[in-house]
Amino acid sequence: MADEKGMTSGSILVVGGGISGLTTALEAAEVGYEVYLVEKNPYLGGRVAQLNKYFPKLCPPSCGLEINFKRIKNNRKIKFYTLCEVEKISGSPGNYDVAVKQNPRYVNANCTACNDCVDACPVERESEFDLGMSKTKAIYRPHEMSFPMKYVIDDSVCKKDECAKCVDACSYNAIDLSMGPKTFDLKVGSVVIATGWKPYDATKLDKLGFGQLKNVITNMMMERLAAPNGPTKGKIARPSGGGISSVAFAQCAGSRDENHLPYCSYICCMASLKQATYIREQYPDAKIYIFYIDIRSPGDRYEKFYKKVKEDKNIFFIKGKVAEIEEGSTGVIIIAENALTGEKMRQEVDMAVLATGMMPTGAETKISGDITYNEDGFIIADLEKGGIFAAGCAKKPADVMASAQNATGTALKAIQTLVRR
Amino acid sequence: MAAESAKTVTTVEPDLDFIKALKKSGGDTLKKCMQCANCSVACPLAPDSKPFPRKEMIWAGWGLKDKLAANPDVWLCHQCNDCSLYCPRGAKPGDVLAAIRNMAIRENAFPKFLGNIVAEKKYLPLLFIVPAVLFFLILSVTGHLNIPAGEVVFSKLLPVMYVDTVFVPTAFLMAFFAFKGVMNFWKSLVDADAKQGTKRYLTPPLPHFVKMYILPVVSDILTHVRFKKCGSNRDRYTAHLGIFYGFVGLFIVTNVVMVGHYIFHIDTPFSMVGPVKLLANFSAIILFIGTTLVIRNRMADADDPGASGSSYSDWSLLWVIYAVTITGILSQVLRLSGIAVLAYPMYFAHLLCVFCLFIYLPYSKLAHLLYRTTAMVYAKYTGRD
Repeated sequence: MADEKGMTSGSILVVGGGISGLTTALEAAEVGYEVYLVEKNPYLGGRVAQLNKYFPKLCPPSCGLEINFKRIKNNRKIKFYTLCEVEKISGSPGNYDVAVKQNPRYVNANCTACNDCVDACPVERESEFDLGMSKTKAIYRPHEMSFPMKYVIDDSVCKKDECAKCVDACSYNAIDLSMGPKTFDLKVGSVVIATGWKPYDATKLDKLGFGQLKNVITNMMMERLAAPNGPTKGKIARPSGGGISSVAFAQCAGSRDENHLPYCSYICCMASLKQATYIREQYPDAKIYIFYIDIRSPGDRYEKFYKKVKEDKNIFFIKGKVAEIEEGSTGVIIIAENALTGEKMRQEVDMAVLATGMMPTGAETKISGDITYNEDGFIIADLEKGGIFAAGCAKKPADVMASAQNATGTALKAIQTLVRR
Repeated sequence: MAAESAKTVTTVEPDLDFIKALKKSGGDTLKKCMQCANCSVACPLAPDSKPFPRKEMIWAGWGLKDKLAANPDVWLCHQCNDCSLYCPRGAKPGDVLAAIRNMAIRENAFPKFLGNIVAEKKYLPLLFIVPAVLFFLILSVTGHLNIPAGEVVFSKLLPVMYVDTVFVPTAFLMAFFAFKGVMNFWKSLVDADAKQGTKRYLTPPLPHFVKMYILPVVSDILTHVRFKKCGSNRDRYTAHLGIFYGFVGLFIVTNVVMVGHYIFHIDTPFSMVGPVKLLANFSAIILFIGTTLVIRNRMADADDPGASGSSYSDWSLLWVIYAVTITGILSQVLRLSGIAVLAYPMYFAHLLCVFCLFIYLPYSKLAHLLYRTTAMVYAKYTGRD
């Protein structure tokens, strides 16, 4: 009953350390509330950490993330845990008991990021951060500016004690192969779920050739290709090798499609417009073909960006959903009907980018507790009841700006549960 | 393109009743279409230039009835349903085109009222009662309204002459009506193209026309090549082939019987092991299997997004064909078993069903054999296919 009498008691749990979770955690902590932030990955920053540039300003997300990491470091009110998953949330608004499972990092705080372990490690794995386009060792740093700055071992491939070469190589006693998973409980007054999204599995788009045709990639792969810390150090290249003279973007690849994601993923149009500028910058003669159902560039600033991209004489907009992608003589062939001319097109390009949409984490993994998901896996928060809220893409498809805005609002909601009279 | 459309103002006058009627006759998903154009590529049959069914979907959404009635493309569609399977919105272009075809049959029908009566579910009993009463009258006037004694021979109930005096003139009348319908359709196709001002097509002399455009279409139909291209609804190919060749076989049998009766004075029933009877029974069996397959597919597929929705016109035709087949087979079985009390009424029912199947041909879904063939010839003629 204490919480109902207006006591400012309890703390807030934020699930997910992407841009939305970071924002909620910081906003709540900076007005004095105690916040626990748990993140599944070995690093904070989520999807934003993978991006090359933000639209429409075309600035790198790294500076914004760095500022947030600094704010976290300087704020004693935030306790964050990486490699953690929430197993169960029980209780009621103002009084939750949360069971958290922490997976082992196998690397302790002694790590100085000297990289000797990586040189010693004989096992390779695909980098999920680079969406399979690069390899790391079994012990690795998730990415160049990963925070916390600690290495981690992928125990699904590491041979552990059989090998242990990294342990010998480490001069700081930072590697502990005997670490195991731990569970712990957190007592909090309110919970904000900001578990974000993952790119829709493009192999499910059976006519678009992803996974079969080398030169068909996804928009998130394009971000990594263009990113200076990506697999090609920012040089956009075809997966089959060589430069680029033409690229096609297939909008709504899986989004606005009852057979895949029935909703609009909101970001993909702007992302493709932005990525068209990446290519045009590196390849001044390259032709870009953007196949769309309709371009969604909501709001004044995005519309302006669209208009600017449209002025580029080398960027062609074709109204017609890409229905099929075939192997071409040198690249891939995009097949679509141009709905404005009524002609079926077979456009050969060097590379195709599928503008795949957002699938909320809740579509595959639901947190056990009093949480309502809609049929697509987005969380519907009960604002009347309070207690558990959702922020960012766990709630709806959103860009970084909208995520940060609604994360701030959600911080206020989470606080209201704590001080509710 | 953009500059051109900026200059000319296009006024769309939607025919709202048409849209409503289309939605009612199987095209209820039509308004879900968002014109993404996925269907035109998903379709294995659509040509590269002005492919269907995306443009038909927007014409239908806008209620452009005349454009759709004078469109060969809806008939080039064989309802493989790859479009519906891959449609991101569940707009089911395959079903909408089927509904448009129903509308086109009605639109081209001659005389119009027959088209309207056959298309409406409420008139179904009437369609059977009128010929049934007519047949009863013939039987009673000629004093045949009884179960003939002795060995079951169907011509005892209805002498061939009576059957033919009704069937043959009716068949000629219907053939004339069907011809009128086809010519209506052909003219609308030519006019629509002329209005577009796209191309002018020379009409070659008839033998040349037959050789160049009709025979290739007949060959396409006999081999079902277009059906064979279907992706998601492949089992319809086999089923339709069964029904098609079942009818072809029975058509041959009927003609042989006619020739035998009038020219050589050989009467039915024929020997069970003779070639005519063997062909007849073989045809009946494949017709039965084909129809069973189609009905089963249509019933089982209700939840499958790539499956055809089934409208009144689909079901009425299927059940009539099924009734024709089953009453035909049973007539023979009962005749051979010598159960006269059942055999004669069954034969009566069989004749009634056959009669109904054929007199309503130009107006029922069976009219697709007229209009689809016409459209396929037109497509060959205009170089579209």
